Amino acid sequence: MTDIKRRSPMVFPQEAKQVEKQGHWAVVMEYASEGEGPWIIDLSHRPRWDLQDSDLSRFKPFEIDIPGKPGQCRLENNVLANRMNRTQVSLWQLTGDRLETPEDTAFTSTMDVTVCLAILGQAVFSIAEKLSSLDFRDPALSTPRLFQGPFAHVPCQMVIAGQPDGMPGMLLTCSRGYARDMVAAILHAGHEFKLQPAGQLAFDKWVAGLA
Amino acid sequence: MALTLTCPVCGKRNGYEFRYGGEDKGPKPDDFGSSPETWCDYVHMNRCVAGIQKEWWCHRDGCGVWFTTHRDTLKNLEME
Repeated sequence: MTDIKRRSPMVFPQEAKQVEKQGHWAVVMEYASEGEGPWIIDLSHRPRWDLQDSDLSRFKPFEIDIPGKPGQCRLENNVLANRMNRTQVSLWQLTGDRLETPEDTAFTSTMDVTVCLAILGQAVFSIAEKLSSLDFRDPALSTPRLFQGPFAHVPCQMVIAGQPDGMPGMLLTCSRGYARDMVAAILHAGHEFKLQPAGQLAFDKWVAGLA
Repeated sequence: MALTLTCPVCGKRNGYEFRYGGEDKGPKPDDFGSSPETWCDYVHMNRCVAGIQKEWWCHRDGCGVWFTTHRDTLKNLEME
C-alpha cells in the first residue's frame, strides 16, 4: 500500500521543535523559537468544507445551526461555520479529531484547494491594515465575523475572532496557489511587529480561550 | 474618482473587486416560441445609455453575489 504524503503549501524556514503526524500530514506543533507573538500559524491541514444549497435551512452540518445572515459566524463542536451569502457556508474544523466529509453532495471538501492560516496577537490589526483596505475593526460588527475581499490583493475569506479581553486573531483562507506569496507578504508586513511562525499548540491554546 | 459599488452582502467596496455583468435587460425571452431575431437582440443588442443605467455586477473578489445597481455612465459613479 502506498503511503500518501500531504504537504502544506506553506513553508517556514524556522526550525521545528516538535512535529506530529496527523492523518497524512506532518504538522509542526511547536517551533524552536516562537517568541512572544504575534504569530503566524499554518492550519492548512485542518479539514474545511464548502456547503452550498438553495435552501440552507434544511442543513445542520456537524450539529451546528447555520448563522442566519452573511458575515455571521458560529463556533460550535470545534467547527467554525461562516455564512458567506444566501446559498453558501464555509465550515472550518479548528481543533479535535478529524471529521469526515458528510455524504450529501451539497458538501465539498476545500482542504486541498485552499491554504489556511492564522495570525494571532495584539498586532494583528496593525499587520492587516498594511495588506487590506477592509475595516476589520468596525465597532458595529460583533466577533467572530467573516470578511470576504482582497487581502494582499488576493480574494480571501477572513474571520476575525478574539478571546474576551484577550488576544485577537484572524483566520484566513485563499486559493492554495497563493500560499507562498501570501506568507511572504504577511511576514514582510509583520516584520516590524516581530511576527514569528508558531505551531499548532499555540493555536489550540488560543481556540480553547475563545469559548 | 474611482468607482465604488455597494454589494448587498459586504457593503460599499472598491470597484476593482467586482465583475461587470452587462446592462439589465429584464427577463429573458420565452425559451420556446421566440424567434432567432428576438434572441439575437436580447443577447447582443445593448442600449448603451449615456447617463443612468441599470446594470448587473458580481462581487467577484468578495462574497460572489450577483446584484443589480444603477450607475451613471457619464461620471462612472454608482447612484445612491
